[in-house]
Amino acid sequence: MAAPPSDPRWKTAAQLPQTIAEEYSDSLKIPALSTLLMNGLARGTLIDASGPRSSGKTSLCLQILAQATSAGEVCAVVDLHNSFHPDSAAASGVQLDRLLWVRCKRNPEYTMRAADLLLHAGGFGVVLLDLADAPARALNQIPISYWYRFQRAIQNTSTILLICANAPQAKAASRYSLACQTKSFSWSGQKPFTRLQGVTVLPQQRKLAALHPQNFLQLFLVA
Amino acid sequence: MYACLYAQNSPDALLDLALEFSPYVEQTSSGAVIFCIDPLRQLLGSPYQISSEISRAGYERKLQANLAIASNPDTAILLARHVTGITLVTPGEECRKLAPLSLSALTSDQAMLAILLRWGVKTCDDLALLPEAGVAERLGPGGVYLRNLALGVIHRPLRIPAETSNYQRRVELEHPIALLEPLLFLFSGALVELCSLLRSQARAARLLAITLDLENHPPYQAALEFPVPLTDHLTMLKLLQLHLERHPPEAPILAFHLHIDPDEPRRVQGGLFLPPTPLPDKLQITLARIAGMVGEENVGAPQRLNTHRPDAFRLTALNLAPPKHTTSQPQGNILRLVIRIFRPALEARVRLVELAPKHIHAPGVKGAVLHSAGPWKTSGEWWTDTAWSRHEWDVALDDGALYRIYQQSHSWFVQGVYD
Repeated sequence: MAAPPSDPRWKTAAQLPQTIAEEYSDSLKIPALSTLLMNGLARGTLIDASGPRSSGKTSLCLQILAQATSAGEVCAVVDLHNSFHPDSAAASGVQLDRLLWVRCKRNPEYTMRAADLLLHAGGFGVVLLDLADAPARALNQIPISYWYRFQRAIQNTSTILLICANAPQAKAASRYSLACQTKSFSWSGQKPFTRLQGVTVLPQQRKLAALHPQNFLQLFLVA
Repeated sequence: MYACLYAQNSPDALLDLALEFSPYVEQTSSGAVIFCIDPLRQLLGSPYQISSEISRAGYERKLQANLAIASNPDTAILLARHVTGITLVTPGEECRKLAPLSLSALTSDQAMLAILLRWGVKTCDDLALLPEAGVAERLGPGGVYLRNLALGVIHRPLRIPAETSNYQRRVELEHPIALLEPLLFLFSGALVELCSLLRSQARAARLLAITLDLENHPPYQAALEFPVPLTDHLTMLKLLQLHLERHPPEAPILAFHLHIDPDEPRRVQGGLFLPPTPLPDKLQITLARIAGMVGEENVGAPQRLNTHRPDAFRLTALNLAPPKHTTSQPQGNILRLVIRIFRPALEARVRLVELAPKHIHAPGVKGAVLHSAGPWKTSGEWWTDTAWSRHEWDVALDDGALYRIYQQSHSWFVQGVYD
């Protein structure tokens, strides 16, 4: 069926590059992830960053926060398990005075409500919803409608919602899904004088594969 | 038309005399008082009759003062200060009346006076004859202002000091109120009045203090300090509601007292190319709602403390000021490995082989150690209550994760996981 030419929701294949360029015109550029996310992170979207422990998902999330706060944006961390480490964040380049930290006393309901309030208040550059290490049972009790509510709250705004968890949470509501894996740990020196050098991780972009020709990356995280 | 009274020694008496004729009086630093006489025309008649009435009132008070009446305040002040007796200036004659005055009457800027004297300009008449463009080119805006002063063409409103108000309301209730909703209705009325008073005087609220008189209980007192000064009564009412919901009074309320501590309103120049920030008043309500859930001590911007003590920080207010300049990433493309902290640290049972950890068992953390690095001894602040001394290890377990553990006082703890 031919698309009505006046309907803006319909695009032809020839219009696709222009549409993508418009959508990413004010995106948040992450130099370290430029191979993975060529156009940066589009505003008004949800991003799932997932992976097991030591897979580098928190490091990637803090890198995104560092880019946003360095550009003068006000960001927020909604922390379920009170596990945010200010020293690590500062070492990653996060401007702590422009970062709001909400500690949610291990209560998933408080966490989701706090995130909801912050997203509806508006004006934040990046909101990091940290659900890592939460029990699967607690996460399964979060209604799926919450993620669509968040998506509606931030669409057409400049806010990016980052969800950090052991497994993808927002699923279809998210624009990007960064799945992280550990490849190896690097140590230096001979026993007993060994020292942790860093961790090699493999983040993979599982969505919008057509827009990102290379959907995986090997990163070395310096300890 | 404006009347100016000037006497060297009795500024208070002059002010009393001026207040007899007008409630709006400007008092200059030199002791002159000036007020508008236009409203007096219907009562007293022409400027000549008004000046007669003022001089008669001054004579009754045994005041010796100069009086000048002119079409603008600055001309009246200059003539009252430098011409003895009564001076009446009809509109259009300001320049002629000011002409004989010396330049030192206009300004005390010695550098400017020296330049003008070098040019041969000695009186107001000389200065008024200079072309405006030439003066602006050579002396800048200050020179143009002096020339206009000499011409008597500067029109400005009187600088009347703002009335000092106390922003407080006390309401006695006919019946004790136990519910929050009717109380908020009464608060709303009082806050509307206070906020309109604040706005009329270009002020904003920095702090809202409430005192509730309770039935058979000591008074309930609370103070809400706002991070940015507010003038919106709805925002204040919402913050007050959230506070009272978190800390309800113990007994029905007999009376309430609201007091606002005023401050300068927040003025911020926005920029087209600056990143958006949350609206301060909306953010305050949001933070108050979140603080109502998780507690005030759990919301804020982290600030690291000036110590080597592990995990030392405090929560402070969020910085909403627009950035003066954006900071670039110092480490470029280097990504840092960060640690997720377990708070409190997980108590662990650790099996050692040749003084190195070989197996760890803690809530949520269990496995054989594949690789370890350590121990790193850290200690400090032994002279305070927050002293610490520990041996830290980085260990890779067979569950595929990398942890930081430490031994303190013969006990083992898992501090966090690298992620």
